[in-house]
Amino acid sequence: MLAAISSATLLGVEGHRVVVEVHVSSALPSFTIVGLPDEVCREARDRVRAAVLSSGFSWPSKRVTINLAPSSERKVGAGLDLAMAVGILVADDIISAEAVAGFGFVGELGLDGSLRPVAGIAPMVAALGAVHPVVPVASRHEAEVISEQRVFVGRTLRDVVDALKGDAPWPTPPVEAVVDDTVMVPDLADVRGQPLARQALEVAAAGGHHVLFVGPPGSGKTMLAQRMPGLLPPLAPQVSLVATMVHSAAGVRLPAAALITRAPFRAPHHTSSIVALVGGGTASLRPGEISLAHGGVLFLDELGEFSPAVLDGLRQPLEEGVVRVARARASATLPAQFLLVAATNPCPCGGGAPGSCECDDGARARYLRRLSGPLLDRFDLRVPVHRPEVDELLVGHSGEPSAVVAARVALARDVAVQRSGSLNAAIPASLLDSLAPLDPAAQRLLRCELEHDRLTGRGYHRVRRVARTLADLDPAGDEVVREQHVAMALQFRVRLSPLLRGRVA
Amino acid sequence: MNGLPDQAYAAALAGLDRMTVARLGVLLAHLTPAEAYAVAAGQMRPCGLVARLFDADGLAAAWRASAAQRAPSRIWQQCCDHDITVLIRGYPGYPAPLVEDPMPAAVLFVRGDVDRIVGRRAGIIGTRNATGSGRETATTLGRDLSAVGVHVVSGLARGIDGCAHRGALSVSDGAGPVAVVASGLDVVYPREHARLWQEVAERGLLVSEAPPGTPPEAYRFPLRNRILAAFSEVLVVVESRASGGSLITVNEAREREVLVMAVPGALRNRAAEGTNALVRDGCPVVMDATDVLVGLGLDTRRAGGVAYDPRPQPRGHDAQLLELLGEPSTLDQLALISGMTLVESAMAVARLESAGWLQQVNGWFERVGRVR
Repeated sequence: MLAAISSATLLGVEGHRVVVEVHVSSALPSFTIVGLPDEVCREARDRVRAAVLSSGFSWPSKRVTINLAPSSERKVGAGLDLAMAVGILVADDIISAEAVAGFGFVGELGLDGSLRPVAGIAPMVAALGAVHPVVPVASRHEAEVISEQRVFVGRTLRDVVDALKGDAPWPTPPVEAVVDDTVMVPDLADVRGQPLARQALEVAAAGGHHVLFVGPPGSGKTMLAQRMPGLLPPLAPQVSLVATMVHSAAGVRLPAAALITRAPFRAPHHTSSIVALVGGGTASLRPGEISLAHGGVLFLDELGEFSPAVLDGLRQPLEEGVVRVARARASATLPAQFLLVAATNPCPCGGGAPGSCECDDGARARYLRRLSGPLLDRFDLRVPVHRPEVDELLVGHSGEPSAVVAARVALARDVAVQRSGSLNAAIPASLLDSLAPLDPAAQRLLRCELEHDRLTGRGYHRVRRVARTLADLDPAGDEVVREQHVAMALQFRVRLSPLLRGRVA
Repeated sequence: MNGLPDQAYAAALAGLDRMTVARLGVLLAHLTPAEAYAVAAGQMRPCGLVARLFDADGLAAAWRASAAQRAPSRIWQQCCDHDITVLIRGYPGYPAPLVEDPMPAAVLFVRGDVDRIVGRRAGIIGTRNATGSGRETATTLGRDLSAVGVHVVSGLARGIDGCAHRGALSVSDGAGPVAVVASGLDVVYPREHARLWQEVAERGLLVSEAPPGTPPEAYRFPLRNRILAAFSEVLVVVESRASGGSLITVNEAREREVLVMAVPGALRNRAAEGTNALVRDGCPVVMDATDVLVGLGLDTRRAGGVAYDPRPQPRGHDAQLLELLGEPSTLDQLALISGMTLVESAMAVARLESAGWLQQVNGWFERVGRVR
């Protein structure tokens, strides 16, 4: 008459274990679900009943009560459907209670009794603990990535019940060939010309420096940004797992092998809302774009067109590497460690060579004001991008392919991590003198920039970090940062406009 | 009537809603300023030619309402507070070059002393979006002309105008510049020129057709340009787009038979498209202040040696690179044309920039001349 089935629900990117308690008693027939179900979860009543009947079982004409324990936490989504159906069949003595011990169930039911995948299988399976997860067929790889136990799958409720009762073996769908999807990443060899911007990409990848491309439309800012993931090394196992959990929780399609091993690339449109970017839209606090970019690249094209509130929302995650989303009923900490790549026009008309801008001063000042301030300060690299000459496009030889650059990047990252335990972008200002000492010529150059008011205090530190990365990338480089590295780093700090003088580091 | 001078009534009239240059001209040609104000305010019946002005739809009501808001005593107080002199056409003190203008301003507001403007006058105008080299040319012309006693006439706008004034003011005992502006003389526009504005008023002459408190409305700029053209004996266009305010001034100048001269620019420089077109159409070319003096009919060759340049002379790679930098270029282009690596060019550029030979905006490098 009573059954307790293991299942899980999703909050943010974490699964929470839920015990589905089913009580069937002799009274007027009814069916209630208690324990803070959300709208989707409450609709399970109709789905579960239809699925049980369609699978050829009878519905107990008794009073059915389902409690989702712990009853004080909110349950979201349809992932509890399967556990409820199994619970009812156990409570109705169709399956024995012993048969379900040691299993956890996650999956949505169709009215015909079929099992459907839900978002967040990976974190929910992780939350189940030391039981055998039973999931829809389509979610198999996702569950296997995370589970230490053997994963069982079913196509329908009938499959699951038969297997639990021992009437039939667990279905074993054929293993699909895993497609290698790294070939999809665009290659740096496609970019003609643009030596400065190419080098900026390399530096950003090697040092973990956030980068802002400034240039007129059609100069290839987006093309460059899309090549960034190809320069980053494969994700470390821990990061890879977290990224997979985030993608799973957001219901974003995972690669064929389920585990995300390449750096993700997310490019939200500039009309995106703050919730879409930062996360927390639904009751399950769905992760936003910045969490989906964890371990990879967040690309914001037309940075100035994003709403100021959205851009402000990025500041805390940029600082801390996580985003804390709190709502009245729940709060969650979502991972958000990403490389920010942004692109902007220098002014509304797109600009170009000096004297070719068509904007009036008011429009230009308004446009730049949206960019200025604390966010602009987060970019170590502000790189000017120009429309390549026609000759370069037609006859220019293509540059190095991504693989060659990525190899240098990987080496430089190793050097940096061995030296300071982190990438160069994270070197604290107090340690710059010991970790990135300057030779006298480099010191002279920086001093001169400071004296001419072309560099602020904060800009000074940023230039030194970038110069450190340049020295790490230089095959002839050593522990001392030389003049050429500083000179190059200064080229990555484009002066946006005389209008912004003094307002940006 | 109550002891206010004619200038007070003229100033109040100039600021009425729907007042135009022509209407103000008709009013003051037939009536004294005090009478004209009474007519506009509805206290007196217009007669003769003046009455025909009021045929315009709703004009009488608009002027009555507007006159109620603009008491001559208050406007006069504003003028006095800001040291603004009101000049009426036909009264003593009205600038001679404007008296016989085809579209004369009936009332002018000035700051500074009209009597200061005694010498020859050359207008220097151009785009607000000037290149570094255009700014430099304007500054040099302003300085050299002022040094030989030619008053520089310009519009105090951003870009070429401001540079021309700055250049003129950089000569301590030079001829004072004349600035013709579109807004009221107490409304500084653009705001970053507040100091320049003040200096011009102190050492030269600020002129406007608009009474104090008038914002810089867009339609006032073409009107301002006609006064600027009328004030100039020679008009030098330093940099101008294929279309723009400078070319309006050029047309006004041609109507008044003022000689228009142009500074040629690089072919691919968009900011010089207008001036290059002028040159192609046969406009005399200005390369330095002497050309302007010839245009004015003066043959005063400026004496004096080459000014000392304190910047360290670039050597080796740096000198090569500076040589190659004709028009604004990007670092990528510099590396390409010089055949240096990106790092070598970056170092050369960094050295040249710290020595003051180069400047960079938006990733474009431009040469910096001697005059800052």
